Amino acid sequence: MAGPLSKYAFINAKLRARISKIVPDEKFSQLEKAPSIDEALALLRETAFAGLEQVYSATGDLRQAELGLLKNEIELYRDIRQHLHPESVELVDALLTEFEIENLKNAIRVYFDRKLRNRSVEAAVHYILYDRIINQIPIDIILNADSFDEIAGVCEGTPYSQIVKKYCHTVESEGSLFRMEIAFDHYYYSNLLSAINKLDRKDRSIALRLAGVEIDLQNINWIIRLKSFYDLPLEAVLATIVPGGFNLNAAIIDELYRVQNVTPVLSGFVKSNYPGLSALLASATSDSTSRLLLIRRVLEEVMKHEVQRILLGNPFTIGIVLAYFMLKRNELDRIRTVLNTKFYGKETPTD
Amino acid sequence: MIFTTEMIQLFAVVLGRDSEPVTEALLSEGVMQFIDVAELEFEGSEKPPTVEPQASLAEISDLRRRIEGFLHTGGVIPAAPRETDLKNRVPVDFQKEKDHLDRITSERQGIRERQRTIQQEVLKLEDIRRQAELYGMSLSDIALPAKHSFISTQIGKLPTSNVKKFEEALREFASLSVPLGQDDDTTHYLLISIRRDNAHINDILEKLGWSKVELPGELRSVKKDVFKEISAKLTKLTEEQKALEAKVDDLVKKEEGYLKDVWVNLRVTELFCRIQTHFKSSSRTVVFTGWLPASKKERLTEKIRKASQGRCYLEWNEARSKDVIGDDVPVQFNNPKALAPFQMLVSNFGIPEYGTIDPTPFVMPLYLAMFGVMFADLGQGLILAILGIVSACLLKKDLKKEGLYRLSWLIIWCGASSMVFGALFGSFFGMGLFSPLWFDFHGIVSGHSAHSSVIKDVYDVLSITIYFGIFVIALGLLFNWINLIRGGKWTELFFDKGGIFGAWIYGGGIYIASYMIARNYKNLPDGATVLLLVGLPCILLFIKEPYHYFAHAAEHAGKKSNLILAFLNFLMEWIVELLEIFSGYLSNTLSFMRVAGLGIAHVCLMISFFTLANMTSGIGYILILILGNILVIGLEGLSAGIQALRLSYYEFFTKFFHGTGKLYTPISLNSEM
Repeated sequence: MAGPLSKYAFINAKLRARISKIVPDEKFSQLEKAPSIDEALALLRETAFAGLEQVYSATGDLRQAELGLLKNEIELYRDIRQHLHPESVELVDALLTEFEIENLKNAIRVYFDRKLRNRSVEAAVHYILYDRIINQIPIDIILNADSFDEIAGVCEGTPYSQIVKKYCHTVESEGSLFRMEIAFDHYYYSNLLSAINKLDRKDRSIALRLAGVEIDLQNINWIIRLKSFYDLPLEAVLATIVPGGFNLNAAIIDELYRVQNVTPVLSGFVKSNYPGLSALLASATSDSTSRLLLIRRVLEEVMKHEVQRILLGNPFTIGIVLAYFMLKRNELDRIRTVLNTKFYGKETPTD
Repeated sequence: MIFTTEMIQLFAVVLGRDSEPVTEALLSEGVMQFIDVAELEFEGSEKPPTVEPQASLAEISDLRRRIEGFLHTGGVIPAAPRETDLKNRVPVDFQKEKDHLDRITSERQGIRERQRTIQQEVLKLEDIRRQAELYGMSLSDIALPAKHSFISTQIGKLPTSNVKKFEEALREFASLSVPLGQDDDTTHYLLISIRRDNAHINDILEKLGWSKVELPGELRSVKKDVFKEISAKLTKLTEEQKALEAKVDDLVKKEEGYLKDVWVNLRVTELFCRIQTHFKSSSRTVVFTGWLPASKKERLTEKIRKASQGRCYLEWNEARSKDVIGDDVPVQFNNPKALAPFQMLVSNFGIPEYGTIDPTPFVMPLYLAMFGVMFADLGQGLILAILGIVSACLLKKDLKKEGLYRLSWLIIWCGASSMVFGALFGSFFGMGLFSPLWFDFHGIVSGHSAHSSVIKDVYDVLSITIYFGIFVIALGLLFNWINLIRGGKWTELFFDKGGIFGAWIYGGGIYIASYMIARNYKNLPDGATVLLLVGLPCILLFIKEPYHYFAHAAEHAGKKSNLILAFLNFLMEWIVELLEIFSGYLSNTLSFMRVAGLGIAHVCLMISFFTLANMTSGIGYILILILGNILVIGLEGLSAGIQALRLSYYEFFTKFFHGTGKLYTPISLNSEM
């Protein structure tokens, strides 16, 4: 069995060098101040995102540039995967599944809008990935499908076929993809946790902790969506919760959803685990959506803390790989947000 | 050069009506680092109000940045204003310039919108082409689509009057309509679309009077190559896209001259306002203060007097004077240009405090000596120097990459040092092509050196680096004393770890160690000598804590004091301090052995590559040596540079250099934005 040094020495050095190239906060401040999308893209010229300007200048189409960004992100995972020890490869595959699931969700949304809602889908079909990510999924057939049975059929041999079969009638009867999408997310996290459980003890505990915080974030995001757009009863909300969260279990979420003042509930784990975040809890929250947004903010900060903890800790663990992915995702999300706000002429939301 | 530039503070009062020409003079000279108005202390309760510039600084900066951003999209970086721009400064019509920028931004937006529309067309055609390629379509005969095809093809006719509406309506979908010919009032079309859109498209066709037909006999010969058709359309659209892209570039180019002029004018106005934000005004006068190099005093006096026609009061205070306003004196390095790469190394660590020693001139020989010993090779040094020269030539004109330019010069210096030490040690690409001027490093490491040499084995090489380390540490201690004496810090001069008592212990330790080595580690000097050299300074150091305690007795006057506890505290502090001194100086000195270590590693690597090369012959021999040298230059060059820097920072700088100074940053036409 390979030791941690031989497993992670090279990738640790490589990723730390790459981390130093992540777009710094000062650049984001400049981007936020840029008067338009053209100026914002010009500011990215000397970064790894220089290609975005080329695509936008040639097409005027930001979504086209974003599609390139997504492809690059997938390539990044693949690139790191090839430098990893075989024992850690399965985890990266599990992480790559997220891209596949998101792409599949987008394709099914196109089918759903076209077939069941009778809407024009022309604008959406051009921004979907047709290339293979993990499994061979014929996205073209899904976009042009006549029924969910056809979609399930072409997904045969992948884990998604069963999910489509199981939830297609619910989707048709409820007129919403919500249950199916939740099932896809559940599959992603169960697959991720199963890949984590195959790691050795030290890697496992680090990966479980980080995945747990991400699950917390995902759960809160779902709850905010459900509360804002669907107004479901608490029981239905709790049924959607992905198991494996680090700080928030079903009981805490139940409590957070009901109580007027979330501060005492949150302060329990924040003060003991992340004392630096206590100041965030001072924010006054009036309604339940604001409370959930506050929790999400706290969890985002918790994630940043966890990533910093990994970067300052033992360098020869899977943590460096996961921390890098988190940092890159954060960077890409910020780039997407700032470019979209410039494109649509909106103010950039401040942290 | 050893100390930073001598600074002087100006306190000036001018008449309000002269504030404009005086500001212009100050900006033109560009030597004043102003002190924030809040730091000025006035007698009496009412402070004079700050001078309000004609336009808001934020407004000017925003507009300047907006123009800069626009020019930047076209790759245009405006140059800093010149003196003539300051003289020709005209008031800026903000509304007019904003409107102008809005207009061109909106024009660009329009072009982008058109690009987006064309891109949608491109994407639709590419969708059809991709689907046809993947799932098949018998194109040449326009037959029925293949079994799994998502392409729908149909031939039909519609009234010629509806052709325009037909083409407009189909634009929403991924489709290709190929006109096949006209017959009286009807036009025949081959329509290719995606099957998923059939329902929508059929509705449209029905409304437009479309009827499906068999291909008319006279048109049967018209066999359209659909792929060719798609490619032609795509080429046309791509050309249109390129033309639009060029139009955006042209827009920037067209506006470049005008916007550059406005930008320069705004930049000068912005700097003007920035200076004036540091002014305070009373009913008739304006007051300002700031630092400048003492050598600029005469010229600035003359300029201010000329600008105010002698109606001014100028008071000059030297940096150490008690009349000086504010505590921090800014620091300007005072080194020749050749030392710029080493100044970069120093400022990376920190800025020296005003009036203390600037280590730059000493870093140069020490750094290069350490690098040279670690990477001694005439040939490899030459390669390094050539790489540095090429890089410096490429980066010379790029102001944005000034740091890399300086790094290139550092590489040139390192290469030169490597060449010198290569000649001293007789190494050329790891080969002994000539006699060493000093000693044969390769021979010593590989165990076949000439016994006539003064340096006989690796222990001698290690000893050289230890002596070098002692010299560097002693130099650091000397600088510390000079700084402490100049700053009047007498207590620290004696009791500091790098003070006289600390150095006494270090010197004593060196004597005792050399005494023991000379006697094969069998004898120590006699007790009285040891007591005098180490014991006495240790005992004297015990005074430090009680001295501080009683010197600051007033601070804890109200508190109940426990003398036994205080004594135990002094004792603990003393023991910790002694441990720090003994372990610190020992590790600092031994740390320099890495210089010899890296030098030995360099030789060993070259020996390894020669051994490997000797196992082969011909091209293999040459390739191994070339690759070996590349690896050694890259790897060893980098590690030698890092280790030399580490020794400079942690064993030399820490003895005397605090790096808490603030860099002198005057407001000038070249100020950073």
